[in-house]
Amino acid sequence: MKGTHLGEFEELVLLAVAALHGNAYAVTVKGEIEERASRKVNISAVHSSLYRLEEKGFLESSVGGATNKRGGKSKRLFKVTAYGFKSLKEAQSLRQSFWNIIPQLSTQE
Amino acid sequence: MKKVHPPKLARRLLRLLISEPLFDDFDGDLTELFWERAEAKGATAAKLHYYKDVLLSARNIDLKRKLKFHNPLVMYKNYLKIAFRNLLKYKGYSFINITGLALGMSACLLILLFVNNELNFDGFHEKKSKIYRLDEVQRFGTVSEQKVALSMYPMGPNILADYPEVVNFTRYWTAGRTLVEYNNKQVYMDKLVRVDTSFLQMFDFKLIEGSRADAFKDNLDVMISETLAKRIFGSEDPIGKTLKTSGENLVKVSGVFEDVPENSHLQFDALVGTGMWDSEQRQNGWGSNYLNTYLQLAPNADPSALEAKFDDFLVKYMGEETLEYYTLFLQPLTDVHLGSMDITHDYNNYNKFARSSVNIFLVLAFFVLLIASINFMNLSTARAATRSREVGVRKSIGAFKGQITRQFMVESVLLTFIALLIGFGLCALAIKPLNQIIDRELSMQLLFLPQHLLLIVATTVFIGFLSGIYPALVMSGFNPVLALKGAVSTSRKSFFRNALVVFQYAIAIAIIIGTVVATDQLNYMQNLNLGFEKDNVIAIQMYDDTNEKYDLLASEFNNLPNVTNVTATSQRLGNNLHQTSMQYRADTALIQGSSSFVVVDNNFFDFYKMEMVEGRALSDDYAADEAGLSFVINETLAQEIRQGNESVLGTKFHFGGADTLGQVVGVVKDFNYNKLSLKVEPLFMSKQDFGGWSEMNVKIKGESVKEALAEMEMVWTELFPQRPFEYKFLDEHIDEMYRSEQQLTKVISILSVLAIIIASLGLFGLASFTVRQRLKEMGIRKVLGASVQQIVMILSRKFTLLVIVAFAIAAPLTYYFMSDWLSSYAFSIKLGLGVFIIVGVGSWLIALLTVSLQSIRVAKSNPVKTLRVD
Repeated sequence: MKGTHLGEFEELVLLAVAALHGNAYAVTVKGEIEERASRKVNISAVHSSLYRLEEKGFLESSVGGATNKRGGKSKRLFKVTAYGFKSLKEAQSLRQSFWNIIPQLSTQE
Repeated sequence: MKKVHPPKLARRLLRLLISEPLFDDFDGDLTELFWERAEAKGATAAKLHYYKDVLLSARNIDLKRKLKFHNPLVMYKNYLKIAFRNLLKYKGYSFINITGLALGMSACLLILLFVNNELNFDGFHEKKSKIYRLDEVQRFGTVSEQKVALSMYPMGPNILADYPEVVNFTRYWTAGRTLVEYNNKQVYMDKLVRVDTSFLQMFDFKLIEGSRADAFKDNLDVMISETLAKRIFGSEDPIGKTLKTSGENLVKVSGVFEDVPENSHLQFDALVGTGMWDSEQRQNGWGSNYLNTYLQLAPNADPSALEAKFDDFLVKYMGEETLEYYTLFLQPLTDVHLGSMDITHDYNNYNKFARSSVNIFLVLAFFVLLIASINFMNLSTARAATRSREVGVRKSIGAFKGQITRQFMVESVLLTFIALLIGFGLCALAIKPLNQIIDRELSMQLLFLPQHLLLIVATTVFIGFLSGIYPALVMSGFNPVLALKGAVSTSRKSFFRNALVVFQYAIAIAIIIGTVVATDQLNYMQNLNLGFEKDNVIAIQMYDDTNEKYDLLASEFNNLPNVTNVTATSQRLGNNLHQTSMQYRADTALIQGSSSFVVVDNNFFDFYKMEMVEGRALSDDYAADEAGLSFVINETLAQEIRQGNESVLGTKFHFGGADTLGQVVGVVKDFNYNKLSLKVEPLFMSKQDFGGWSEMNVKIKGESVKEALAEMEMVWTELFPQRPFEYKFLDEHIDEMYRSEQQLTKVISILSVLAIIIASLGLFGLASFTVRQRLKEMGIRKVLGASVQQIVMILSRKFTLLVIVAFAIAAPLTYYFMSDWLSSYAFSIKLGLGVFIIVGVGSWLIALLTVSLQSIRVAKSNPVKTLRVD
């Protein structure tokens, strides 16, 4: 399905939001990805993905509390929608289906 | 602790990069990161990183948060539903609103159709941009300089030979009505025209049969129109058939063309080559003008450069002194229909029309549409108050300002489209009568061409937007609390509305005054004493065969009980008369000049009750009169040839180069034989034996027109069984000179009525609105003892003021324009105050009537009821 295609980074962002349940906003999502994938991610890339994913309906957002740390600005908290979860699962099962037909040979040491 | 802050410059840049609604989120995130880093790695690193983050954020420059909490489709459906409910709820308003706009739109559409037709006249010729008509400016001594659509027989071929930039020419030389015979059946060719072989190559009249290239190669070839072919041959194949003409010539049909379309200035039903007339004498016939010449220029030729060479051309063929009399000029084919109003002797210019009239129509169409649109806008705004609660509810459940604006825009556009549909319907109803008035064949099909339809739809949307935008903005600006209370103050905006009403009324008043003045002027010209009696005169065209029995015919006519007099002339009165050269002696010197000339029968002056100023009229009693040696001249010519204070009677006089064999025997008071916009030109008359009259005039008794015509037809048919009896009333012929003006005034009369109707509709709507607003005030006044009259007065006062202001604006402007227009006529009415007063008072009364329909209702209403509201 073309319209629901998730890019690799998008999938990561989505997974991070899901994993952070309740406390997912740009900074934490960035931290989560950097920690797990051990790679540097710029905040702007996270922003793009978050808002695009929201536009596509994978995420929904609400305004969270403001903290001093943020110069008094409130944060936008993201949550994975049902549709988002479905897409994640589809992506996962797609991969799984490939794994199922790959011969389990010597590579699996 | 020393507080570090993100660099201000970078932050400002971020604000520029990120769209407003997202900025807070982004700013917060970046700031949080900054402080985290500042703690971990120090301020400098954090600052540098902050810069990097901001710069990389440039990728999000077009990022927007889409609001997903409403489904626009549902809302639009709701807008439409509410729009229709409101339409039905306020049927009166809706009716006024839509009708006004529909009237304006249909008027505008029809006028645009007409204007389109006029602008595309002769548009079907592919080479139209390269074809020019050769016209002359003539200056013959005493006759005023005049532009004429005439040229000489040898001009075309010689111009073609002398100037390489001319690639083709054709002459167009009418032969008039011609009787032809086929199988003993006699049929008139109404408009037989002699043309050159190139005619069908230059002009794209559609051929059904025959060849363009070989047309008229044979002198006896004739091409006829489809209709004429049917009339002569019925279902037979006309090609190759021979026809007998009255001159006993046999001509052969070599082609059939489609009937000439209505939008061609050249109209003919049969064509024949010039070959048959191409004698050597004619080829050298410089000096006489009797036909039209059309030239086709080379693709890159410059017409004005060619024009500049024409003086040399004239000198080459006609000698140096010709330049005193003639200048040649080129008129583009596309300009012939609309640009020939100042050209006389323009005999082959079907339905010729004034470009200025087309412009007047355009301006009027625009104004009528403008009035209608203003109406629409005014009424919609006025209606806002009645819907303030709806706006209040919408706003309090979360509608944005933009949504309310959009809602009313959608509604406005919707209404304009309904009006457009009704407008189309009105067009369909009105197009037939309109075609009759303006003598055109307009068709609505043109409106449905994709490009036109697109334009119409675009304009409609535009009108919808423009007239919707003001009410939409006003309504979306309502404070929801006040709106829910129904207490929206509109007094601030009433100035704007009043200004619009004044504007509308000013336009309507101006149009009406203009129409009344123009109609007056036209009536004045048509009823002015022309200096001869034109009533009950019947003009009959004469031909060779009918001329042979002229005397018999005249005496038979004279014997009829209902005929009072019969005379004959060489030209019908009621157009420009042909000019010729003339000469007279002043003392002993021979002076050459030029003047109009009509050959008349001796009783001509008596027949037309013309007044002799000096001397006598022509008479059968003088041998010199019969011999063509006596001349009667008009006052203008007399002035011209008078020596000092001496009488012109006895002045030696003659015409056409012959020495002064004759003499002036009488001076007739100037009479207007031409259009009254032109002054009277010099004219002389005499009886000449030129082998026949071209025109017979019969005066009949006014009370028994039918009987007289029946009797005359009997006499005619007995004498000329081969010719149908055809006649025309002279006054109708004279009226025809003003046809273009008549069409103009008729159409603008209709438009002016429309303008006042639409303006009144608007006023009616506005009045009802104002009155509704002041219901309570009036209720209180009534309770306190105001009478019905007083209340009507109070309510009408404001509108009276508006009309007065409108009048004050319109009257001076109209006065200026109309006196300018009238000054273009040699004989014109005086622009009196009367018209202005009548129109002013009239429009005031209409406005008052409109308003009082509303105010009386209020004044009569029971205050208990009106005060109970709320």
